[in-house]
Amino acid sequence: MRRVGHHLWLGLATAPIVGFFALPILYLIAVSLKTKDDVLNGSFWPTAPTLANWPAAFEAANVIGFIVNSVTVSLLAGLLTIALTLPSAYAVLRLKIGGQWLSDVTLSSYMAPPIVALIPLFFLLRTSGLLDTRAGLVLIYGLANVPVAFWLLTPFLRRMPLEIEQAAAIDGAGPLRILLQIVVPIIAPGIVATFIIVTVLAYNEFLFASAFTFSDATRTLPVGISLFQGDRLVNFGQMAAASLAGIAPVYLIALFMQRYLVSGLAHGAVK
Amino acid sequence: MTAFTLDALEPGAERHSARRGILAARLGRALWIAPVVFALAVTTLYPTVFLLGLAFSKSTLGKPFRGFVGVKHFATALQDPIFLSAIGRSVAYALSTSLLQLALGFLIALLFTSLLKGGRFLMSLVLLPLMTPPVMVGIAWKLIFAPAGGLLNGALINYGVISQPISFLGHPLLAWLAIAVADLWQWTPFIVILCFAALSTIPEGVREAALVDGANGWQRFWHITLPLVAAPLSSIYLLKLILSFKLFDLVYILTFGGPGFATTSAGFSIYRRAIEQFDVGRAAAETIVYALVIGLATLPVVRLHQRFERREL
Repeated sequence: MRRVGHHLWLGLATAPIVGFFALPILYLIAVSLKTKDDVLNGSFWPTAPTLANWPAAFEAANVIGFIVNSVTVSLLAGLLTIALTLPSAYAVLRLKIGGQWLSDVTLSSYMAPPIVALIPLFFLLRTSGLLDTRAGLVLIYGLANVPVAFWLLTPFLRRMPLEIEQAAAIDGAGPLRILLQIVVPIIAPGIVATFIIVTVLAYNEFLFASAFTFSDATRTLPVGISLFQGDRLVNFGQMAAASLAGIAPVYLIALFMQRYLVSGLAHGAVK
Repeated sequence: MTAFTLDALEPGAERHSARRGILAARLGRALWIAPVVFALAVTTLYPTVFLLGLAFSKSTLGKPFRGFVGVKHFATALQDPIFLSAIGRSVAYALSTSLLQLALGFLIALLFTSLLKGGRFLMSLVLLPLMTPPVMVGIAWKLIFAPAGGLLNGALINYGVISQPISFLGHPLLAWLAIAVADLWQWTPFIVILCFAALSTIPEGVREAALVDGANGWQRFWHITLPLVAAPLSSIYLLKLILSFKLFDLVYILTFGGPGFATTSAGFSIYRRAIEQFDVGRAAAETIVYALVIGLATLPVVRLHQRFERREL
């Protein structure tokens, strides 16, 4: 009987938490289904649900183009980050190259807010002709997320049993072959989790994207949406529809990859 | 075989090739860490050097480095009350919201831990706010706080709490609260996940031993659980603090720094100075000041974290 009461209390405590975290997304969905008049009445659900905002949003702004830009840039940047970080993180941990200082410097470089790099990177991109290009964003995100990937990958590498690598080394495999053929398959879940996290970080990024892109051909979705709200006639219904369209890809990934993601984030903290 | 005999004939050659071998091996080893060193050079070292250069020179976004001006930009920045209050607000905001979110996230993690299986399901639910693009988080909360037709105003009017809609984002203090709520919605889940992981490292035996010794729930929490997770908690606080100092997107979307300059964070103020006013010399000086302030503000937390870590050893 006491157990049942205990569980009732826990359930009562959980309900408002779940409600709070679900609220903004549910409200976005509700607003995206409201007519222009309906938006102004302040109720939660629409009185006369309509799907009209969805096609209208895609017509009013280049939403599809923004999503394509965001997805392309973030996937390529994610791949770049992993390609740059994996060998180095492995070398620091297992081959004892670079030592503790490299790991410390990498992690502490994450402390500086991105605003520090904003102006210098603007000039770098302009000099190299990469300003207002998707390639420029790929390069910036790919490099900027290296410390995060380093932080996330290291615990997975550390928990990898040393004996397997030693056995491979005795069989004559070089460090690069050991990394690619033995370590990578074993820590694949950690690499997948890290890849998803840095890709989502690139997909969500706003500060650099808003300063380094000026045309519809290169703008990413967060920038596109932020301009949406700057328009003279702000249509809340369309804004909600466009926002949801931008959130959808990330939530799909979260849905299918949740197990990897939670463990990927959690291992980083526990060490 | 030939090489062997040649080496034997010329003693200097062996030393030479050995030195070349060591050099090649060193180069090979350096190649492993070259990618990360390159990334750090581009995203950290180069910006720091470049910023220092800008901060001491006459510079615009169009034409940088047009003559040395000494500490002029720093003097202007440090005498500008708007910039100084932006820094003050950023520090106060980061320290307070991070602490609030740490407390809340830790409590939720404790709750989820006691829910066992259900907790794991809820964990994937709270993953969603964390993954949401901050710009969209801002838009969702902006719709909730909107004066005309916003959810909060609608609810308050329906329940008779207020008769006229309130402009939450147009009021200096309420606008900050709105930003803090959106921030809390997005980042508390991250803290929950990290705290959940930290709590799961406590061995079951420790709890059982305390139970056997007759410790009640509060005693177990205060004397067993909390000291065991103190070190991870301090590093989680540090991490959230660092993230809070980066506050930009929510300000941009929710308030654009207003009303007036009431919610202008340091990052947002520097952004406007550089990108809208093209005054990159002064923006660079302001950035350096802000970076130093962040260093000073996080130092006590770093010290605290080190003390917890040492105690564990």
